[in-house]
Amino acid sequence: MSFELLFLISIVAGFVGAMSGMGGGVILIPVLTLFGMDIKHAIAVSIVSVIATSSGSASAYVRDRITNLKVGMFLEMFTIVGALAGAAITLASGRRFLFILFGIVLLSSWIALFRQRNEGWRPAAHQDVFSRWLELKGSYYDRSVQHTIVYHGARAYFGGPLMFGAGLIAGLLGIGAGALKVLIHDLVMGLPPKVSTTTSNLIIGVTALAGTSVYLAAGMIDPGLAAPVILGVVFGAFTGTRLLVRLTNQTVRHIFLGVLLVLGVEMILRGIWAVWG
Amino acid sequence: MQASINPPEKVQSDYRFDMESLVGYILLTGVLLSVALLAVSFVWRWVRVANLRFEHSIVGMNFFEFISSTLRQMASRAFRPRLFLNMGIAVLMLTPFVRVLASVFYFAFVEHNWKYTLFTSFVLSVLTYSLFLR
Repeated sequence: MSFELLFLISIVAGFVGAMSGMGGGVILIPVLTLFGMDIKHAIAVSIVSVIATSSGSASAYVRDRITNLKVGMFLEMFTIVGALAGAAITLASGRRFLFILFGIVLLSSWIALFRQRNEGWRPAAHQDVFSRWLELKGSYYDRSVQHTIVYHGARAYFGGPLMFGAGLIAGLLGIGAGALKVLIHDLVMGLPPKVSTTTSNLIIGVTALAGTSVYLAAGMIDPGLAAPVILGVVFGAFTGTRLLVRLTNQTVRHIFLGVLLVLGVEMILRGIWAVWG
Repeated sequence: MQASINPPEKVQSDYRFDMESLVGYILLTGVLLSVALLAVSFVWRWVRVANLRFEHSIVGMNFFEFISSTLRQMASRAFRPRLFLNMGIAVLMLTPFVRVLASVFYFAFVEHNWKYTLFTSFVLSVLTYSLFLR
């Protein structure tokens, strides 16, 4: 694959990854394998680029005061352990049924989100004792509605363990798994969609680094291939980030729904393909 | 949901400004430095051999050995496009690590928030362990 093509694909992946909070891996891996790259190497290249997408986007979101750092730092404890386990599983085994399972999980999530697509953000009715102890609260200025949104996180006792699963998927498939992270923030912990998306971006960087360490130890990181991907995703992510802060929560959710559907169908098809291919 | 029309400056505490600025600028600096190093490596390679493809894998070393090997090449002034490529990858991987390290220090020595010092220390310990994997 030429540098130019790899660079262009990566720009698109970075843009979509930042807009949805999912990272660019969901586009990169299928395309790289389409061009003949071994899936394990594609996963390794992708997960390095996910560090770049996440860090590039998160740097702007954090300075814009949308990301909730304490929510991110609490949940990272679970995602990094999951990512290490996931990457180790990838190196040791085949993944066809996990692809199908992952697709089913994403499509189930899509159905849940689709049913409430026209509803605005519904904050948690009350904050439980554990989430209050964790100081999971915050505020941010929403430029699209020109208001300061004040919120608190809830059900952290569910959110934490569920994030282990999101980290596992991230390490396993070399993606940010932002789809799952955003769902957990949004539906389980009652965070506003923009806070969900931006906090997901912060967590993804550390999660991807944990996964990368396993692939690096296995000798699967090719800097010559990773570098053009990193350059492309960073460019795309900075562009996507600038657009996100100007959109409403509803628009972000609609974009997220579309990407989630494509990702879910793609994962199932890839799993079926692997079984019968 | 609670909403107010206060401009953002009036609802942000000094703590949030400091912590978020620290994290935001660490991430920004790391990514920009990494991108600059990678861009230099490609431009230099193009000028030297008119080909942008590097044939190069990192085999048989963990992250800290990779960093150490890159630093040794820098110390011996063995500057070439591949060194800049390695430096770009190393800086990128160090960026979230440094962000977590800075968070530990911030929570411990500025915020004196022992709960979050413990959380971020756990993340730092697991990351450090994983980067020593071989």
